[in-house]
Amino acid sequence: MYFQKKRVIAMLLAGGQGSRLKVLTEKTAKPAVPFGGKYRIIDFPLSNCVNSGIDTVGILTQYQPLELNEYIGNGQPWGLNKTHSCAQVLPPYERHDKKSGWYKGTANAIYQNIDFVDRFDPDYVVVLSGDHIYKMDYAAMIRYHEEHNASCTIAVRNVPLEEASRFGILNTNPDNSIYEFEEKPPVPKSTNASMGIYCFNWSVLRKALVEDEEDAKSSNDFGKNIIPKLLAEGHKMMAYPFDGYWKDVGTIDSLWEANMELLGKEPAFALRGDERNKIYARNSALPSSYIDESAKIVNAFVAEGSEVYGTVKHSIISIGCTIGEGSLVEDSVVMPGVVIEAGAIVRNAILGESSKVCKNAVVGGAFGPKDKRKISVTSKGAVVEANTVLLPGEML
Amino acid sequence: MNVMGIIFTNDASLGELTDKRTMASLPFGGRYRQVDFALSNLSCAGVRHVGVISRHNYQSLMNHIGDGEEWGLELEEGGLEFLTPYAMSVTHTYRGKLESLAHAMDFLEYGADDELVVMIDSAVLSNIDLNKVLAAHVQSGKDITVVTKAGVCNGEKIIDLALKMENGEVTDMVVDYAAGEDYLASMDMFVLNKKWMIQQVKEVIARDKFHMDRDLVLGGWQRGKVSVNVYQFEGVALFNESVEEYYYNSLALINKDIRHDVFHGAHPIYTKVRDRVPTYYGEGCDIENCLAADGCMLEGQVKNSVLFRQVTVNKGAEVEDCVIMNDAVIGEGSELKYVILDKNVTVTPGAKLIGTKKNPIIVKRGETV
Repeated sequence: MYFQKKRVIAMLLAGGQGSRLKVLTEKTAKPAVPFGGKYRIIDFPLSNCVNSGIDTVGILTQYQPLELNEYIGNGQPWGLNKTHSCAQVLPPYERHDKKSGWYKGTANAIYQNIDFVDRFDPDYVVVLSGDHIYKMDYAAMIRYHEEHNASCTIAVRNVPLEEASRFGILNTNPDNSIYEFEEKPPVPKSTNASMGIYCFNWSVLRKALVEDEEDAKSSNDFGKNIIPKLLAEGHKMMAYPFDGYWKDVGTIDSLWEANMELLGKEPAFALRGDERNKIYARNSALPSSYIDESAKIVNAFVAEGSEVYGTVKHSIISIGCTIGEGSLVEDSVVMPGVVIEAGAIVRNAILGESSKVCKNAVVGGAFGPKDKRKISVTSKGAVVEANTVLLPGEML
Repeated sequence: MNVMGIIFTNDASLGELTDKRTMASLPFGGRYRQVDFALSNLSCAGVRHVGVISRHNYQSLMNHIGDGEEWGLELEEGGLEFLTPYAMSVTHTYRGKLESLAHAMDFLEYGADDELVVMIDSAVLSNIDLNKVLAAHVQSGKDITVVTKAGVCNGEKIIDLALKMENGEVTDMVVDYAAGEDYLASMDMFVLNKKWMIQQVKEVIARDKFHMDRDLVLGGWQRGKVSVNVYQFEGVALFNESVEEYYYNSLALINKDIRHDVFHGAHPIYTKVRDRVPTYYGEGCDIENCLAADGCMLEGQVKNSVLFRQVTVNKGAEVEDCVIMNDAVIGEGSELKYVILDKNVTVTPGAKLIGTKKNPIIVKRGETV
């Protein structure tokens, strides 16, 4: 079979459980969690790849892959199903030697798929995570990597000093070359947080992965093992500063926040009006949304196929939802296919896919500006029975 | 049973709205083009071999349909084929459906496995389960099945083909005539046996006739040569054969029963994906009784209207009883009532456009008012 040589391919780490998303990832891998009304988290890195001219993407899956695999399909929504492009799902598999089994860590996942990468004989491999919301031109990062003649380039963003100890911190020289990596340092020396976006020379990464696999003590992780190892070996490693919007949506709170940051006339993260860098999603073949005369919608997204009869304020209503008459939805993320019946009140909540809030039920509550916000969450298909209450911060 | 689909695309004219496009590529219902209904009806009934016949102005249509991927028709075997006139072989474009079929003989004869043919026009829209129609056709043993709708003929509207039934048999048939209430209106949708159809096309054309309804169906039936089965469709059928009807039917989709029948009936209606963001409803917007597609930015007042993709309604604008196609920008403080805005129209701030229900104002594609 003929495989065209590629200058760059991307490997997307999509196998993590995302346990901090709790009930939302009980039956779904984190990258397949719905976002922003019509998207899923994985649409962002996948669309970034396509918009950056990367047409070959290996997607490493492991945890609850059914829905994710279905969603990716043949890669058609992102135009990755052509003769010389692919979105290849790469699950763990059995090999003749003992080096197979579940992916032990992020580095091991790529290690087990060295053969996949080798087919394309790439100069560079971009390693991405499936749990971040952002738009980024990876091509610009690769140019930067080339210009600096680096072996590895890591995208970084400036975080407030008081938060820096929550991140993997890259300490750099004035020319942005990295001299030290510290995972969650108690006393941070800098505020350059790693975004988990790496560009490697494939020859360098390939060698490091093989050696790392032979090290029985390694946990086979990019942050913990591969990056420190390359630094110790004296490779030139660069930090690529990125100041656009970027959000790790690994927790209930951050997922809620990132959704809310899409709203407003000038939102923190604007999806509209950037025709060259669209975010692509698998299409659902639903009609336009219907807004009844009894509806009132203020500062909200309403996606295709939804029917709104109630009041919606500062919320995301995803595809195929019904918001019943006399109901109120405020400060909430309503995922695809949710039904909210008449008279129900939903505040500060994330309602999982196809869940249902029955008549006059109450989900969540209101919070003052100084209160700690507690998000109520319903899992996929959950039903909040009529006239019952799901308290702030409760999960069903 | 292998079935071939044939879609006719230039079957009526809606004045300025079809100046530069076919009936098939006329936008409808917020995010669709009229041909999406025919394509979805065929595709969802398992038809995997579809010819699209166009006479002229088919650029926007080809752009929309592409390789048929959205309808599952991008196939190695069969799939979708555009059948446009060859300038070399005909000195004029097709005069009628039969002539266009005669020129598409290669397509008709290819795919020898196809036993039946479904012919659909692009002006009458429905969400119909064609498998039921096909089964009824086979069971009837007749030469041709005409899909009809009751309650359309009213003695005023000119109907392409109207049929009168008594005791399950056709007793009268009229073409291009304002038939009375006791007639059933053809939805311009037919099922025929393919071999029989090819023979009929050749015979009728040989006598220099070309009109499907008049020469093949009516003429054949009158001469006792063609047996006709009538299938009465119970669902919603939207006859978009004039600007007034197009406007009326567009706003009729706001009605829940009609909307659900058309979009959630037998199957989904597929269309070309545009990857717009969800519609944003701003702080001061007042939207009532509307259909809104994706990608809109709504800050003004909109009532009883259909908004297509990527429409901007600025603060203080008032839109009522309107059909607003893709990418319109409606300026601050403007007022629109009984208006159809074609694609890409800019309404300057403060502008006032008031049409009537019978004669909505049409603003041409790309214009600024």
